[in-house]
Amino acid sequence: MQLQNPAPRLRRRVLAAIAATALAALALAGCTTGSGTGPSSTSPLTIGISLSLTGDFSDSGKAAQRGYQLWADVTNKAGGVLGRKVQLTIVDDASSPDQVVTNYTNLITQKKVDIVFGPFSSLLTVPASRVVNRYGYSFIEPAGGGPSVFAQKLGNLFFVQPAPTTEGGNVFADYILSLPKNERPATAGYAKLDDPFAAPIAENIQKRFEAAGIKTVYDQTYPAETADMTPIMSGMAAANPDVVVGGSQEADAFAQMKAMIQLKFNPKWLFESNGANSPADFPAAVGAANTEGVFSSADWYADSTVAGSAKFISDYTAKFGGTAQTIDPTSAEAYSAGMLLEQVAKKTGKVDNATIIKTLHSGTWPTLVGNLSWDQYGAPKGAYLLVQWINGKLTTVYPAATAAASPVAPKPNWAG
Amino acid sequence: MHALIQAIILGILTGGVYALMASGQTLIFGIMKVVNLAQGALVVLGAYLTYTLFTQLGIDPFLSVLITTPLLFLVGVAVQWALLRPLHSDDVGQLSLLVTFAVALGVEGVLSFAYGTTLTNIQPSYANTSWTILGYQVSLVRFVAFVLSLVMLGLLYLILQRTKFGRSVRATVQNPMSAQLLGVNAQRVSAIGFGLGTATAAAAGSVFGMLNSFNPGSHYDLISRLLTIVVLGGLGSIGGSVIAALVMGVASSVVSALASPIWSDFSFFIVLLLVLLLRPRGLFGARTRGAL
Repeated sequence: MQLQNPAPRLRRRVLAAIAATALAALALAGCTTGSGTGPSSTSPLTIGISLSLTGDFSDSGKAAQRGYQLWADVTNKAGGVLGRKVQLTIVDDASSPDQVVTNYTNLITQKKVDIVFGPFSSLLTVPASRVVNRYGYSFIEPAGGGPSVFAQKLGNLFFVQPAPTTEGGNVFADYILSLPKNERPATAGYAKLDDPFAAPIAENIQKRFEAAGIKTVYDQTYPAETADMTPIMSGMAAANPDVVVGGSQEADAFAQMKAMIQLKFNPKWLFESNGANSPADFPAAVGAANTEGVFSSADWYADSTVAGSAKFISDYTAKFGGTAQTIDPTSAEAYSAGMLLEQVAKKTGKVDNATIIKTLHSGTWPTLVGNLSWDQYGAPKGAYLLVQWINGKLTTVYPAATAAASPVAPKPNWAG
Repeated sequence: MHALIQAIILGILTGGVYALMASGQTLIFGIMKVVNLAQGALVVLGAYLTYTLFTQLGIDPFLSVLITTPLLFLVGVAVQWALLRPLHSDDVGQLSLLVTFAVALGVEGVLSFAYGTTLTNIQPSYANTSWTILGYQVSLVRFVAFVLSLVMLGLLYLILQRTKFGRSVRATVQNPMSAQLLGVNAQRVSAIGFGLGTATAAAAGSVFGMLNSFNPGSHYDLISRLLTIVVLGGLGSIGGSVIAALVMGVASSVVSALASPIWSDFSFFIVLLLVLLLRPRGLFGARTRGAL
């Protein structure tokens, strides 16, 4: 009998431990997902966001802040989300991947916000999304679209742009390959910035061009610190391709084009993955007359014809001043994050994290950046718009269904 | 062949601009034995000043050099007087690294606050103009910048060789103790010398802003280039830094155009390594340091 004695004691202990763990888990669950997210609650809906208000990404961080704030204001004016006023808690992460972790942990465990939205850039979204995932929150994020974000295979993440960043140029390939064979370019040149958000965009285009028989006559990758693009572009000019594809960020895209202007090299088609889609910075950097005919891709821009865009612009300029052309697309992307939340609430009558995650995984969702839907890890399944500078304005030219004008080719000569 | 010659032309013109920035850097080292890590940040400051004068008052970026040069001279004198002068002479070499780096960070912070971190650039009507000479393209801005650099370097040479102050500077470089015994006011020479060094950043900044997009963080890339140029040329030698800047300009440009941009900076470091193995004081370090 003695032998049997320890067993019940052990069982009691195990039971006690299980009970304690369960209690603790319940308490934790109460702290996190269960805090006042019920539909009947009239307490404010608190949303926590960490943004880069200082440091390297501060301009973009502030643009995201304006988008979030505008959405909250507009929504509150219209009565809030399910009758609950939206209350944003925005904290600064100084563009630091360490601080962003601290911030989201604090927002969730200390401030006990109901919902969190994403920070700026993939660099910060990756560490932030891990924290957010750990606490079972949904993570609607407007600015982390790099491969590293989706490689984490998180089921709670939703990137609020039409496609993963590296697929930004696919729409240009779609357009070129939609041309009849005798009108297509025969040769292509590629200048790629060695950066996870730039070179892969051009590489994806290159794969499709080469498969379709468009010969690569120049292909160069340059490091991020390359300030002077003239030597590279003089090599490009010597190879004289019909189409030039720049897998670029902003500064190097401008430098590429300035170099082409100075070298008097004008390709028939010119696509820059970034920079050329900036309505204010691009004309300022290369001269307004030199923008004519340059292609880029975009999700939202001032002349976007997407439903709700005109209202967004008028609300934005009323609140922050400026003109439609000076609105950073990041503001529209952040605003769209709020739109998604609102639509989930309207559809389900609930705004808890589990409902958001479950609901967004099916159907398509209209936003300022297009109709969004995601794969299981939050990578959007749509495509960017192909935009071109026509008569001094960014204009959607492809796909035809959303185009405001037909693409102009060959590209008009540089104004100099 | 065409690509090679085009690359050499580009390299020489670009090198000229770096020569101007590096000459200020090396002058400061020659006089004070201070490695000025703020030189890049001051070039960026010069670029922003030019940008403001151009966009707000419509002053031509090349003409604005007449305003920004004295301004940056004063900034340099102030930095020397307030931050470097109090350092104990035994530790000045090491402490000045920290102090000038702090100045760089301070300038970057103030510029971020005032202008934001978005890339800017100075875009006068002639920014993209280029001339076709024998089938080669020569950019107007680069060419004028190159000439401006030559003019500024010439002025610097005249100040150092033909003025009483220049003589004091050269004396201080050769032997600070003897110079002081002969009545040279070392503090004054240091302050004005530092001011002259930073003043070169004004002209360099206006050119830099026309050639590149820049933001307050652009100085990190600049300073690493400037330091390698100054080391290759021989610390303290203005002539050496001019030649080193041209070597760097041509090497980067040729490798970038004919091989790969990935190798372009690396090629320069190979040149630097080889030179330092053969001449540890740089190209002109030992021979002309006294002569400046």
